[in-house]
Amino acid sequence: MRFFLRFAVVCLTCFAAWPALASDLKLEARLIWGVNDSQAAQHKPVAPDLASKLQRVFKWSNYYDITNQIHSIPVNESRDFRMSERCVLKIKNLGDSRIEVNCIGKGKEVSRGTHTLAPSQWVILAGNDKNNTAWFIGLREVDAGLADSK
Amino acid sequence: MNQELKVQAWVDGELDADQAERVGEWVANDAAAGALAAELRGVKAAMAGAELARKAPVSPEFYWSQVQRQIQAEAALARPKTSRWMARWRRFFMPVAGLAVACCVVLLSVELSAGVSRPDVVSSSNEGMDTMMFHDQSSGLTVVWLQDKSAQSDASSASDNDNSIDTD
Repeated sequence: MRFFLRFAVVCLTCFAAWPALASDLKLEARLIWGVNDSQAAQHKPVAPDLASKLQRVFKWSNYYDITNQIHSIPVNESRDFRMSERCVLKIKNLGDSRIEVNCIGKGKEVSRGTHTLAPSQWVILAGNDKNNTAWFIGLREVDAGLADSK
Repeated sequence: MNQELKVQAWVDGELDADQAERVGEWVANDAAAGALAAELRGVKAAMAGAELARKAPVSPEFYWSQVQRQIQAEAALARPKTSRWMARWRRFFMPVAGLAVACCVVLLSVELSAGVSRPDVVSSSNEGMDTMMFHDQSSGLTVVWLQDKSAQSDASSASDNDNSIDTD
């Protein structure tokens, strides 16, 4: 009986404290350029595992890292990820690995969406670029050890 | 059991119905058995109330076990005054606690299932842009493709479309 009462109290306490237990979200955002030749040789190639995933889905054969940003976002707060001079992502941590992504290009909101981040999965925002190339912004949740902005 | 003992048991009413019926018939039909039964009934009538009352000796173990039982019974009588309030409180609190636990389980499961089932949603805020979203299970990519409408209508001018976000 005592055990049952204590168990009930612990359950109630945990449930009441549930929102407070939600931790910050460590998010990585990468701006990637996709091309079909080696025209971006001055840039660093994307890691092979991500490159192979992109090659599986898209027509471009080479992918280069342009920008890499990692920020920690507290629950219900937003952070700006400046990916290029023209592009900023305003990302809000909705909790439970949910994010709201507001893509701003040239100062105007281009798209707004909500996504659920799953381990080892990427959310990719992408579009065509000049000269039959494409840009990609990859978002993923990262481990706490990588939380500091690069 | 020999016949005499059977008659004695019959007189004392110690036989079951079946045996008593059989012995009764035998006593009624057999003169010797009838005489024996009559004699035993006479002895029984004569002895009634004449037995000496004898007290069995009480062993020390039995005596102390009685003392212990008495102590336990008195302790049980003394306890309820303090535990009655607790018993009432428990009677009230137990269903409340059970209900709370059930609510916790239901709400947590709803929370978890909601997290699993909430789909990704994307909308274009710019009238000149189209968005298309798809998920590729094999590569683990959820892709939001942003397409400039003007570039769509004039595919040949792709090199000059406004969709660029300045990768250089």
